[in-house]
Amino acid sequence: MGNFLVWVIWIGAASGCLASGVAVISFTNPFYSALALIGNLASLAVLYLLVSAEFVAAAQVLVYAGAVMVMFLFVIAYLGGRADAPWAGGPRWLRLSAVVAGVALMAEVVVALLWKSDRLNDSPKIDSTFGSPAEIGRLLLTDHLLAFEITSIVLLVAAVGGVVLGIQAREPDAD
Amino acid sequence: MLGPSVPWYLAISGILFGIGTVGVMLRRSPLIVLLSLEIMLNAGNLALVGFSRSWGVSDGQVFALAVMAVAASEVCVGLGLIVAMARKRLALDVDELSELRG
Amino acid sequence: MTALAVGGWICLLAPLAGALLITLAGTSISRRTAAYLGTLSVFVAFVGALTAFFSMWSHSPADRSELSTAFTWLSGGSFHVGMSILVDPLSIVMMLVVSGVGGLIVGYSIGYMDGDDEERRYFAYMAIFVFAMLMLVEAGNLLLLLVGWGLVGLASYLLIGFWHHRPEAVAAAKKAFVMNAIGDATMALGFFLLIFKTGSLDFSVVFGGAASLDSTTVNLVALGLLGGAVAKSAQLPLQTWLPDAMEGPTPVSALIHAATMVTAGVYLIVRTHSIFEAAHSIQDLAAGLGAATLVVAGLIALVQTDIKRVIAYSTMSQIGYMFVGAGLGAYASGMFHLVTHAFFKALLFLVAGVIIHHLAGEQDIRRMGGLKASMPRIWLAFLVGSLALVGIPPFAGFWSKDPILAAALARGDAFGWILLVTGLVGAFLTGVYTFRLFFRVFYGEPSELVTEHAHEHGDNDRVVSLSLGVPVAILTVLSTVGGLLEIAGVWDPFGSWIAQVAEPLVEPSTAQEWATSAVAVTVGAAGMWVAWAIYRTGRLSVPALPAVQRLLEHKFYFDELYDAIAYRPAQLLAMWLRNEVETPFVEGSLDEIGRVGQEAGAGVARAQTGLLRTYALAIAVSALVLAVIFVAVR
Repeated sequence: MGNFLVWVIWIGAASGCLASGVAVISFTNPFYSALALIGNLASLAVLYLLVSAEFVAAAQVLVYAGAVMVMFLFVIAYLGGRADAPWAGGPRWLRLSAVVAGVALMAEVVVALLWKSDRLNDSPKIDSTFGSPAEIGRLLLTDHLLAFEITSIVLLVAAVGGVVLGIQAREPDAD
Repeated sequence: MLGPSVPWYLAISGILFGIGTVGVMLRRSPLIVLLSLEIMLNAGNLALVGFSRSWGVSDGQVFALAVMAVAASEVCVGLGLIVAMARKRLALDVDELSELRG
Repeated sequence: MTALAVGGWICLLAPLAGALLITLAGTSISRRTAAYLGTLSVFVAFVGALTAFFSMWSHSPADRSELSTAFTWLSGGSFHVGMSILVDPLSIVMMLVVSGVGGLIVGYSIGYMDGDDEERRYFAYMAIFVFAMLMLVEAGNLLLLLVGWGLVGLASYLLIGFWHHRPEAVAAAKKAFVMNAIGDATMALGFFLLIFKTGSLDFSVVFGGAASLDSTTVNLVALGLLGGAVAKSAQLPLQTWLPDAMEGPTPVSALIHAATMVTAGVYLIVRTHSIFEAAHSIQDLAAGLGAATLVVAGLIALVQTDIKRVIAYSTMSQIGYMFVGAGLGAYASGMFHLVTHAFFKALLFLVAGVIIHHLAGEQDIRRMGGLKASMPRIWLAFLVGSLALVGIPPFAGFWSKDPILAAALARGDAFGWILLVTGLVGAFLTGVYTFRLFFRVFYGEPSELVTEHAHEHGDNDRVVSLSLGVPVAILTVLSTVGGLLEIAGVWDPFGSWIAQVAEPLVEPSTAQEWATSAVAVTVGAAGMWVAWAIYRTGRLSVPALPAVQRLLEHKFYFDELYDAIAYRPAQLLAMWLRNEVETPFVEGSLDEIGRVGQEAGAGVARAQTGLLRTYALAIAVSALVLAVIFVAVR
């Protein structure tokens, strides 16, 4: 029963993921695309939960859906109609090869999994510390301290960059 | 493990990545391109988390958090650029912005 | 160093020093000073030659040659060439003639070239020429001889084209140089063969081993040497450059194209006589070419109207005699004729120069006439020179030309008789054309040109008139008494002097000598009488043979022949190469390289579309490929 339920949830979340992904790239109106992305992120959070990565799921909803998408929506609302660029355009070969490349990538992954997934089929038993905030925190501050610090610098740089871009834009007709 | 085994999650991740790639290459609005990039990054995250489950250690999830932070900063800067382009009344079309043409 | 060697080195290097000084001083010295400097350097060379000569004279005959080496110049494997000079009886004769007569002519140039803007260049070139000629005659090995040979050709080119703003002069200079280059090439080929077979170019090695070389080699080497001699001495078939060379100033014609450079061929044959003696047929060929030249030149001289060209053809003819002498093996006679010819031919040229100078540059004898009254001393000098040239005793030419004819007689076989008859015909022609010139210039009614300039005689500048007059006077004296060094059957100092270096192959008896002399003098006098009859008294008239006239005026069509067989094909080949090879391939390939570079760049630039999407596509495809590789390999 439990397994069946998990499967059902999994199928729902996976299809929601893929459908919203396709929707993101298909809508003309960027607002709809952004909303579709939020759906995508939510589905992914569900998938994370299914693999017992609770903290990542929570962070996903908070950071991504909460902060990043809000930023996106703000900008889209600000730009309004001007962001409505047409869907397709450019050289035909480009469009064709884009689709081909994308499909090839997907196919490749699937093939690789089918072919080489023997080792991946058996997952070890995990305990309750797997994916818990305590565990994540411990790893961040001990094994992966450097990554943690570098990430904080990256965030700082991005903040500064955002402010700089904003300030430059604030002197509109002085040039 | 209940439900599908890890390869299934990895398959979803791969397909999502392909969708994101097609979106980056196919759309002309920089906003949609950024959104597609987000999809690709999330696909990567899913793969990381999947592998972390398959190994049974949480390091993959730590990495996923780092990716999330970097993605957030990248979106911040990217959106700032788009807003600056809009303020300068440039067309928001990646085909038009081709001054790097050789 | 012995006095011989010291004298030899001073003789060689003094003119070089003079040339260098004039060049380095440039315009900081006056033109007259440059002239004095040039003349002085040649006279210092003469002093050096005299020193060596007296020292040599005081030595016993066995001890008279000295090879003095300054340093080893070239050294490759077992082939060594030293910077060495050979002072022996043969070279001392040439040294004395070159520096002595050369000094007189350079001194004459002080007056002749006075007032020319480029006097300094002239004297520098003259000094270089004297140096080059001395190097040629003093060379201790064949390579240095070739160096001197080439430098002399260069000096000739520079001096013929001295008045470089005259296109005819430039063309004549090029013609002389190119024809001499043919001779240089054959000589060089001969030398290569010598090096290949004997491993050295030293005189002692080459001449000593000449008899032991196989006949093909020695014939080829001799042929190469003969080619060089023929080109340098303007003999058939390479004679066409000499008349054109009269474009140069008259002292140049006197020095280079009468007294010294053109006689270098004769000197070469005498110096390398061992090789020629080992290749009899080539030696006979030399005599044959000389005989042919002397007749052809004599004939052409009959119709020339330019005073210098008559004398030039006369030179060509007289050198033919020297070639006959050397070809027969009468080396001393050939050399003696070289010496006396230097005296009287230089005299004739210098006198012609005075006449030209007096008539403000006119060289056409048809516009002259009656100069005897206005230039009596010149008349006398010219008469002496002409008598010496024709070979009338007691003047110099008589004593030197006739022994050559006697040697032809002494040879005895048919070839000797042919040479003798040719020589006598030549003597007759000499009489005719020389006195044709004499009578046309000095006798008859004075032309308007002459009367115009009659009272301009006597330059204001003392130096100029001295410099023009003194060499002419000295050469007149030498042309009169210079021949008395050799009186057949009585005394023979010159003959025995040269015999120390080159033993003669034929020794005519005293009777043969006197017999040929008598016939030659008669024949020459007959020629003089014919000229007198035609040009002085008008008793005979020139036979009207228009075809012959045309043939002689066109100089036997040699120029036209060479134009057709050498110049035109070369020109066509050059044009063809230019159009078919140079422009498409050489220039084209350079263009191609540029174009390929450009197109490659353009091709690469096409990848820079500027479109973000193409770059993304590229990244995606690369990731795809890499992933495939990873999956497949692992």
